[in-house]
Order: sequence, then C-alpha cells, then structure tokens
Amino acid sequence: MVKYKKMSKKKLATVWLGGCSGCHMSLLDIDERILDVAKLADIVKSPIVDGKEMPEVDIALVEGSITSDEHFREILHIRKKAKTLIAFGDCAVMTNVTGMRNYFPLKEVFDAAYVNAVSNDTEGQVPGHPSLLKLNDKVVPLQEVVNVDFVIPGCPPSADTIFYVLFEFLNDRLPDLGKAKKLKYG
Amino acid sequence: MNCYMNTIPIIIDDKKLEVDPGKTILEVCRENEIEILTMCHLKGVLDIGACRLCLVEIEGVNKLLSACTTKVAANMIIRTNTDRIKKYQRITTELFFAERNHVCAVCVANGKCELQDLGYKVGLDHIRYPHLFPQCEVDTSHPWYVMDHNRCIMCTRCVRVCNEVEGAHNWDVMNRGHQVRVISDFNSPWGESVTCTSCGKCLHACPTGAIWPKAIVQGQLQKNPGMINELVEKRKMKL
Repeated sequence: MVKYKKMSKKKLATVWLGGCSGCHMSLLDIDERILDVAKLADIVKSPIVDGKEMPEVDIALVEGSITSDEHFREILHIRKKAKTLIAFGDCAVMTNVTGMRNYFPLKEVFDAAYVNAVSNDTEGQVPGHPSLLKLNDKVVPLQEVVNVDFVIPGCPPSADTIFYVLFEFLNDRLPDLGKAKKLKYG
Repeated sequence: MNCYMNTIPIIIDDKKLEVDPGKTILEVCRENEIEILTMCHLKGVLDIGACRLCLVEIEGVNKLLSACTTKVAANMIIRTNTDRIKKYQRITTELFFAERNHVCAVCVANGKCELQDLGYKVGLDHIRYPHLFPQCEVDTSHPWYVMDHNRCIMCTRCVRVCNEVEGAHNWDVMNRGHQVRVISDFNSPWGESVTCTSCGKCLHACPTGAIWPKAIVQGQLQKNPGMINELVEKRKMKL
C-alpha cells in the first residue's frame, strides 16, 4: 500500500509559557474542526502531547508572556525553530493578567504569595530551590524579546478565531482579524 | 430648514453639503452620518479636544485639527478617512492602552467599554509601544462608587459633567504628562469629599471601567452616557 507523503503536511507546535492555559482550553474548543487541522498539519509539540524539545516547525502558537529566565531561553529557542511564530492570547500579546505584578517590586509579589498569604498556617517562606525557574523583575510580552509574525488577542481568544487563524495559515493565506471581525480583548 | 437662514457650502469626503454656520465639524459629520471616532466627546458637555481621535484633514491647513473643536467655515474641504488619519487614530489608541493598566480580562467594563470598541474599530491587534505599567491607586473610599485610576484615559468627561451639569466640581485634574491624574477635591479620598453629591453622573459619563458602582461584578456594568445630554436638554425646556 502506498502511503501519502508526510512531507506535504505542515508541522504545528503549541507552547505554554507564562499563562493560565486558558488559551489552550480554547484551542481544544475548536472541537471536531481539529480533524480539519489534523488533515493539514501534525501537532509535533504541545502541553497535551509530550515534553520533548521543540523540533523545527512551520507554525508555533505561543501562549503566555515571558516571566522568567526559563521562558526567555525557551522563546529564543522557539524563534529559531519556528517559521511562523504566533503570539497566542492576551498574555502573549500584551501581558494581560500576568503583567499585573509589574506594578510592584518582585519581593512584594513573592511576600504576598508565600509569606503574607492568608492560607499560611505557620511562617511562610519564599521557595528558592535551584531547580525552580527564576522570575524576572518585569513580565514582558513576546514581542519585546523576539519578532512575532502574527498575534491572536483575547483572554482567551474564541475557538472560532483560533481556527480561522490556524486554517488560513495552514492554507498559506494571511489572516486579517480586523476584516474578519474577530478582534477581542479580555 | 428655515429658508431665510444662511447656509454655507462645505465638502466632507467628496460629499457636497450645505450646513449651518456655527456648528463644529463633528456635529456636521454626525448629522450626515459620516463616522468620526471620539473618546472625550460627550453630548451635553463642552468639547475640549483632549483625545485627538477626531482629527481631520482640512485643505490648506498643515496641521490636523480636531473636529469637535473646529467650527465649519465656508468652502472648507475636509477629509475624515485618509491613510494619514487612520494611522494617527491607531497610534492614539495604542497609546491609550500602553499608558495605564488596561487589563480587559479582569475589568468591570469588559465587553461594554468604549475603549475596547475603539480598539476593534481601528483594528488594533497589538500594541507597538512599551507599556508603562504605572502604579495607580484604586479609590474605594466612596460608599457606593469606585475610582480605578488604572483604567482612566484622561478624557475628563467626568470632570466636565461634574462641573457643568451637576455643578459640584468634585473632580479636577492634577499634574502633567503621564503623571496626570483625575482628583477628588484637593487630591483627597473620594469618600471624604465635601463637594461630591453622589449623583453618579460621572459614572455614566466615564467611557471605560475607571468609575463604577460597587454593587456590580465583572462584565455586568451598565452605563448610559446618553442620559447626560437627555438631562441637559430637559433642563432647557420651559414648562
């Protein structure tokens, strides 16, 4: 039996940086349309696939903003491997909720979460294990670190918007959110 | 139209119009269904040209002029939708978003916000300028209302409504540049204000989620900026 050449299929990656994974939930909300995506692309890396290092891909959807040293390294790696990098969701585009800690010094943020938290029964302490990622002073959107090819704003973007953008890119067309009336913040 | 009244000819976007003198370009455009984006304009209170969204091109004038504060003159040739104007509208909108902390996802006005609608209209998908992330206060001292400076765009609609319609002048403006703030009395907490009558007009005038009643939760805000003009017109009626 002759198998179809896999070469013609595009490679798709979805990555989860400093966000709440809500955008990935919205991605799953495209429901059965994921079969249309699967006809045109292989999902080679995703939080719901496995933890391999990201290979070369055609399209990378990146959720969340850059909040730590690890995210910083990761986004540079993604930029090298991805032909089209799409900032996916409000956090990736304009920091959104993750950026709300930017108004305060980092120490205050840590203290609020670990030391002065109401749920603390004993004296809290800020975790400092070397294997943990180190938070940056300020949260920045993807575009301040790397070149971003396309953005999908929304918290989360609607499933229709995500599918529209994905489908256009998979068919080698450039989507236009303004014309398609698919813009949404919050 | 009264046939004894003198009208003047003007051209807006290649459309020939006969209009009454003394009107602003914005008024004429609204009457003739020509779309002009505005933020600081609120029918019923004086226009100040603060938001710079209603800029129009007038032939023979080098600068872009704000439609809300420029009166029509005979034979004016006005353009409202050139690429240059669209470019500036987009820049202005981006700067609104970058200046303070507009986190739509957790804002009470989400979905009913004039700033959000403006973003959709100009096709804003991302912001090209670095966010300032200023530390802004949220004043919850008033028993019923909240003033959230994070969401304020300094349109000063609340300031004008309070002064011109309510006559209380609780609100005013302090400082300059990006440190500019709307203040209550002499920069004291809103709850301690001696001038505020708690009428709630500022809340309806506010285009974003900067002033809102405590009794609501996220996404349930109902604002009625049209009521300001209704009130002004009703007061003019002679009984």
